[in-house]
Amino acid sequence: MVLLVTALMAEAVPLIEYFKLKKDMGIHAYAVYRNSDIALIVSGVGKIRSAAALAYLCALYHVTEKDILMNIGFCGSGSRKHPLGTLLLINKITDMDTGKDYYPDVFCGRDFPKESLRCYSRAVREDDVSQGTDIFCDMESSGFIETAKKFVYAHNIVILKIISDYLEPHYLNQELLKNYIREHVPMVESIINELKHLNDSTCEFSFTEEEKKAFNDICRNLHFSSSMENMLLKEMKIAKLKGMEPLNILRPFMEIKACSKAEGKKLFEEIKQRSKLENV
Amino acid sequence: MFNTIYIEEKAYEYHITRQLLHKYVDSEVVTIRHYKDVFNRPKQNLAVQKRYPSLILAVKDGQFLYEGPVVCQSFDHPNFYYTSFLLNCVFDCEYCFLQGMYPSANIVAFVNVEDFKEAMKDLLHSRKKVFLAVSYDTDLIAFHNIIPYLQYFYDFFASHPDMLAEVRTKSANQAFYNDYQPLKNLIIAFTLAPDEIIKKYERHTPSLKSRINAVKAATARGFSVRICFDPVFADPEMEDAYKEFYHHVFTQIDPGSILDVGYGFFRMPVDFFKRIEKVRSSSLLYAKEYFVKGNVVSYPEPVMERIKTEHLEILEKYIKKEKIFTL
Repeated sequence: MVLLVTALMAEAVPLIEYFKLKKDMGIHAYAVYRNSDIALIVSGVGKIRSAAALAYLCALYHVTEKDILMNIGFCGSGSRKHPLGTLLLINKITDMDTGKDYYPDVFCGRDFPKESLRCYSRAVREDDVSQGTDIFCDMESSGFIETAKKFVYAHNIVILKIISDYLEPHYLNQELLKNYIREHVPMVESIINELKHLNDSTCEFSFTEEEKKAFNDICRNLHFSSSMENMLLKEMKIAKLKGMEPLNILRPFMEIKACSKAEGKKLFEEIKQRSKLENV
Repeated sequence: MFNTIYIEEKAYEYHITRQLLHKYVDSEVVTIRHYKDVFNRPKQNLAVQKRYPSLILAVKDGQFLYEGPVVCQSFDHPNFYYTSFLLNCVFDCEYCFLQGMYPSANIVAFVNVEDFKEAMKDLLHSRKKVFLAVSYDTDLIAFHNIIPYLQYFYDFFASHPDMLAEVRTKSANQAFYNDYQPLKNLIIAFTLAPDEIIKKYERHTPSLKSRINAVKAATARGFSVRICFDPVFADPEMEDAYKEFYHHVFTQIDPGSILDVGYGFFRMPVDFFKRIEKVRSSSLLYAKEYFVKGNVVSYPEPVMERIKTEHLEILEKYIKKEKIFTL
């Protein structure tokens, strides 16, 4: 699943339109929009709001390490190194209140400029920093990553910032901002696809739902203790890694109900023997 | 080459950093305060990082040299130590303990080589003679074209003959043997394995043939060469492969040109093993049952004894018994 966090509705609208997200009317604490694969939450401005909104989404959708968490929003730039509207991939965030640094692993979006970002508690203006300083500033990223790093792999945390202004936040035009996001939504999609492909290509072991159900049924029907259950899972894992089908090994035992623990132990040994046979 | 080069603020002033920045001008560079801020982050995916490795340039502080661990061979040297100029390796061996030791697959390179030399001098001062393994947590020769650490330490080793240094490698890179004169106190320890094992477990490493060629190049130039058959796997399917392999190695390499041989089975501290079992969930190697003795995971003693007896019987046809060190 892909979870998107934006601070403002103006940042969210182009994404909601492009990904055809529908508002989840059952959620009242936040504005949450979703389809089958993507959920977007509008957090409000500031790092605490961003952290809270992301934590809410992660709990709501039972996020795993392979899910993708993305913060999309605007940043101010202290220099004119990049034109307004440029999409930046962030590879370092410094929380300017705590001085703490955060580093997502950036393995996607090879063609996009990568920059470090400073996260402030209030909007930064030109007068606040020395002229032409090569810095990029936002107000959400450190809160977002502080939460994100608890849930997903470091490479599944993506912080995308579009330069909205050269530290002149009072001159922002809402329509222009929406257009900046709108222009970059296809790039956001390509980054998501790149990451999905990367995650799919890492072969982490898992049993299918059907296999898990069969293990549960057998353990219950044959009165296996928890240590026998663990040993069964280990035997089945080895068998599966050797290219055998766990369900084929277990098939003769699926309809049996043991009358006693002793009978269960005998059947357990039979399963172990069968799992050691080749070509089952 | 590197996805990102992370550089500690204080590492910028060192020669190695300047060289690398000059060499990898197109790499993304991120300035960091301390290497552990990046290296020790939670939830790093080692498999993905192996595919897109980053380099972290750091200034080592604290302890520079460590006593040799019990799971490593001392080759009968009483003062056995190891040091790490690099953390992690360019190769991707499935059995490697580093995956359980470090939370990251990124490579840390320490740039303050002079501080290492000072620590070595201090150790020599107190211990007089030292056996120092310098390539345990990495492969220095495989990394030689990126950072030539052996070049930086060559003069030091040449002028400190009481420090016997061992450089363990699987690399086929012959540049160092061609460019430098051998030193009596510098041992190049080649890890060799049957091609079946290389293909199965040692991703991105050179073939047996290439490694044998590197051994020949090193011995021809007069370097002290150790051959390490380590780790050996007690796999019934591999038993015949090992026997043929030992004969093959010593028909290709003149046994008289070898300093000695190291021999050891696949073994690992329990906590490393458990961590790798999670990281490499699809690995059959870590799914299998092993025997735990003390804090070390390995094979049952009778199994190791039987296989070792068979293997040593072959090895002793080529190498004198007292030159074979087993663990």
